[in-house]
Amino acid sequence: MRLCYFLFMVCILLTLGVKAQNKQILYDFNEIPQSLSVNPGVETDFKWFAGVPLLSGISAYGGSNAISVNDIFASDGVDINLKFRERALDVLTPKDELSTTVQMEYLSGGFRSENPNVFYSFGGYLEFDNISYWPKDYAYLVFDGNAGQLGRSYDLGDLKTRGSLMNVLHFGVNKKVDRNLTIGARGKIYSGITDYSSTSNQGTLRNTEGQNNRISTNLNADLLLRTSGLQALDEANDSETLGNEIISRALFGGDLGLGFDLGFTYHLSERTTVTGSLLDVGFIYHSSDPKSYSLNGNTTVEGIEIDVLENFASLDRDFWQDLVDEIEAEVPFETDTKSYVSFRPTKLYASIRNDFGEPVGNGSSQSCDCTAGSSAGGELRTKYRNSFGGQLYMINRPRGPQMALTGFYTRRIGNVLAFKGTYTVDKFSQTNVGLGMNLQAGPVNLYVMADNLLSYNNIAATNYASFQFGLNIISWGRSK
Amino acid sequence: MKEVRILFTVLVGLLLVASCSEEQDFDQLDDLTVAPSYEASIFYVKAQETLINRVAGLNFFTQDFNFDAFEEPFFTKKVLAGVLTYELENTTSKPIEIRLEFLDEAENVLDTEVFSMDPAPTAILQRDVAYGATGKSLDIIRATSEIRLTAINLGDNSSESALQDPAIVLRSSAQFTLELQ
Repeated sequence: MRLCYFLFMVCILLTLGVKAQNKQILYDFNEIPQSLSVNPGVETDFKWFAGVPLLSGISAYGGSNAISVNDIFASDGVDINLKFRERALDVLTPKDELSTTVQMEYLSGGFRSENPNVFYSFGGYLEFDNISYWPKDYAYLVFDGNAGQLGRSYDLGDLKTRGSLMNVLHFGVNKKVDRNLTIGARGKIYSGITDYSSTSNQGTLRNTEGQNNRISTNLNADLLLRTSGLQALDEANDSETLGNEIISRALFGGDLGLGFDLGFTYHLSERTTVTGSLLDVGFIYHSSDPKSYSLNGNTTVEGIEIDVLENFASLDRDFWQDLVDEIEAEVPFETDTKSYVSFRPTKLYASIRNDFGEPVGNGSSQSCDCTAGSSAGGELRTKYRNSFGGQLYMINRPRGPQMALTGFYTRRIGNVLAFKGTYTVDKFSQTNVGLGMNLQAGPVNLYVMADNLLSYNNIAATNYASFQFGLNIISWGRSK
Repeated sequence: MKEVRILFTVLVGLLLVASCSEEQDFDQLDDLTVAPSYEASIFYVKAQETLINRVAGLNFFTQDFNFDAFEEPFFTKKVLAGVLTYELENTTSKPIEIRLEFLDEAENVLDTEVFSMDPAPTAILQRDVAYGATGKSLDIIRATSEIRLTAINLGDNSSESALQDPAIVLRSSAQFTLELQ
């Protein structure tokens, strides 16, 4: 049952809610080839690597900073209406988010150039991401309505949501400039399957005492929802060709975009290293199946108003239809199919790391083909048994940038095992402890990572859950 | 390779088994009640005393107004209860009777509200008419397609009120509760 609940919780969290997940455990964990995905300038030492298709990198994240599944669905005998009101409706604010990111790498590989200082990587992954902020005033309108709320202004800007499903193909170059500096860059082609965003809404809905009639209702709206691909997928679903449509749109039959990642690693001293990366600086041009919906204007109505003296000559007209027409003219609901551009949620990572303890790998007398730093060009860097440091993560979001700070400790056990423990503080949690394990069994590389481990005693009560795992074949090209 | 597969399975299995969850009951969602109440003005009618004086006979104003708001399928399906609030203000020098009739599409009278007002000076008359479990049948509201307004002058056609802009004014608003879930 526990297993069922766990899986169900993950599913629920995934459905909660654009953001990409903070991969703080994977970052700078350079024993793992996929660390290139979060810093193309990471120090690599592989001759080549190949990710096992569909298993080389899977990560999922679901989170809400202010409410958990358990808050609402715990079987505690409390009326759900009371729980919803006390734990969601009256507590959540438009800054609280519900978000989800799922990435599945289906192709991943890399190889060293004839110039041993240059390493090329390539791959492809599918990504679904979504972020929705709590639409507070909309929620009040839906659950309570506007009755008895004279003077209260409902903020229509509370609606902010963004999401996309896309296929990403990438090719990167990683170059060791000298003994201290490694840089990297990666180009990306985005093939958008579907996209939706409604992030720039403004306006209010307000009832006040009327001038003529009892109540005056003012609607001031500037709302916009942009979508792409939804209609095509819906039509394909109706004609039972959804799979083909998704594949077609994933393989450049949908919306296209370009982007790049940059990164570096720099050794300040023998044991102190700084790194940084900027990911997903890019855009997608939505032109294949765009559809936008807008509601824009300002109107104040007090119902049907008839001044018999003023309207004496036209009392037979349809006052109701006139009122409807007047509202529709002042606040027109419009749809259009103009193409639009969306920007990717750009992420920034930075870290400082200090190594200590005994050296591992290079200096020892192992005979296996599994030593970090064994095939990179130039002078090899010594790896140490322990590392600790701090990381910074930032991402641009519809309501401004968001940040997470991570402290980490890495322990290497020979060339076979490495563990990385992290403690992360962000808006989701102040008790986020994560653990990652990398196992190198000959050429086979396996890694598993999960964070917010303290929440695993009651996964339903957590605000945040994420996991990553992957399987690779790695070669260092020669035995030492 | 086989060992790795086994180790992988064991690790993932451990993670899953070690995780716990308090008992959750997702069926509670069926008990979640979403029944908001919305409020807005319906109609406002003003008939000036100068106009009343010009019309001979008792019945100085009769008009059928199309009113499709209550016939919207979303509304008729979801409405649980409602209150129509009327406010009548008479600043004319005559006693006035206002008759409101709710008509269906075939112009059958479904319901009638009658308001009698003394000549000015008189207080504003306010009346709340409930529909639903504690009031009149909601079917009246659901079937209403037109509203017939009749105003009857129970006084003379010559007197004039000393008040500024004398008129009979009918204001109204509606508050309806909808069952969305």
